[in-house]
Amino acid sequence: MGPNGAGKSTTIRLLCTLLTPSEGTASVGGFDIVESPVSVREIIGVMPEESNHTLYPTMSTYENLEYFGKLYEIPEAEIPERIEELLNFMGLWERKDDPAGELSTGNRQRLALCRALLHRPKVLLLDEPTSALDPIASKKVRELILSLAEKYKQTFFINSHNLAEVQRICDRIAIIDKGRILLSGKTEELRSKLQASQNFTIRVYNDLEKALSIAKSMEFVTSAEKEVDSLQVTIEDPIGNNSTLMQSLLSQGVRIIEFAEEAATLEDLYLDVIGGVA
Amino acid sequence: MVLRKSLIVAKADLRMAMKVKMVKYSLVIMSLMAPIMAIGLVLLIALTAPAILVTTIPMLDSLFAPMIGIMAIIPATMISANALVGEREQNTLEPLLCTPLTNRELLIGKVLSSFIPTIILLLGSVLITEIATIIIFASVGANPVLFPGTASLYLLLVAGPILIVAIVSVMILISGKVKRVYEAYQSSGAIVIVFLIPMLLPMMSTSDLGNVNVNLVWLSNTITLLIASVLAIITSALAISRFNRDRMVSM
Repeated sequence: MGPNGAGKSTTIRLLCTLLTPSEGTASVGGFDIVESPVSVREIIGVMPEESNHTLYPTMSTYENLEYFGKLYEIPEAEIPERIEELLNFMGLWERKDDPAGELSTGNRQRLALCRALLHRPKVLLLDEPTSALDPIASKKVRELILSLAEKYKQTFFINSHNLAEVQRICDRIAIIDKGRILLSGKTEELRSKLQASQNFTIRVYNDLEKALSIAKSMEFVTSAEKEVDSLQVTIEDPIGNNSTLMQSLLSQGVRIIEFAEEAATLEDLYLDVIGGVA
Repeated sequence: MVLRKSLIVAKADLRMAMKVKMVKYSLVIMSLMAPIMAIGLVLLIALTAPAILVTTIPMLDSLFAPMIGIMAIIPATMISANALVGEREQNTLEPLLCTPLTNRELLIGKVLSSFIPTIILLLGSVLITEIATIIIFASVGANPVLFPGTASLYLLLVAGPILIVAIVSVMILISGKVKRVYEAYQSSGAIVIVFLIPMLLPMMSTSDLGNVNVNLVWLSNTITLLIASVLAIITSALAISRFNRDRMVSM
């Protein structure tokens, strides 16, 4: 993940050996991208940026896949079977004879994903894989990614702006900006790390203004904002301090209906990390 | 193995190029134009002045043979422009470069996509003209002569393929400089004119009276072959050394 211009697509272009790094090293599946580029390309499947525009428009849906099946040296007898399986899964079998240029944006995106999956690569590099898909198709692709990762032990390397998507399907995430990794780790670890910083929702039965005033008077409350029927507060070291805030509110006559920890999302983390360097 | 993958690329490129109307119709027109003109001329002479047919046709040979070659070779620029620049213009180059194709396989594939159909056109044009001429000669009771003659066949069948290699190599070099297919057409058009000069050299061996010095035809054809060879060696060496992924992707 990263903002526009962070280097996400460049990273994928380097990993699929389209670009040669000016410095540094990288390897995919144990193969160095500079020393063994052909070996790297044999084990990867790539869905480039705006992949719906990277299909041969005058070739049919089937021919687009057949061409790449041959280039990846899939045994001739297996190619039709694999194409049918993928096109059926993506709901494109009925369009197999249509020129790719006549498909909708979403269908082209699905076809590009089929192309990346056709030779069952060990590693898939997907640049914004669901950017042009509707919610149902996006969900299907997410399910496909999870099932393939489990069935074939495939590794998916995904660039995405869709934080919810990343949170659902990625084991590890990295946030990059200006070509550098700002934060990386297992998704769960990063999310729990964020939970230590801690946003809480406080709903009260009476006098929201008074509750806001009390919250703002506390040194450990780093921010407090009033919403329609609740307060949003951020508490430093919540394990030690949230009970102090709760007691202060109760002792000053504020009747609390809810004092709840907000579930941390990667969006918070993302904004926190990117905001910190902006 | 290398050739198998290259042929897959060549076949796909040719199929794509033939779906471009301009390329398809140019290919048909160019391939038909020279044989039709040559055969038409033979037929005209056979019908109007059959007595001079046997003496006139060999004199015309050195003029028409280069024309057959030129017409057959020009489509190579169109196909290779589509195969190289067109691929990038359509954004289909990146997925192709992400396959296990080596630079050599890709380069050979791109060359073959132009070379194979152009050679077929060249041989087809020559064969059709030869057969038609023989039939026309036989129909008027004249002793058949080869048209194109032996010296012209030497020019077309040896220098022709070498020139095709040179032209495709130049297209590979041009493709690294231009972003759009029509720019490649324009640039290649200018270069084809330069390449046509050696094809026209045999015409200079025709005297004012229309007589042809056969020795001069052979000499000029040999000079043409040498020029074509030098051009092919230089341009193909440059094309091979400059054909790389970074350059193609970063355009």
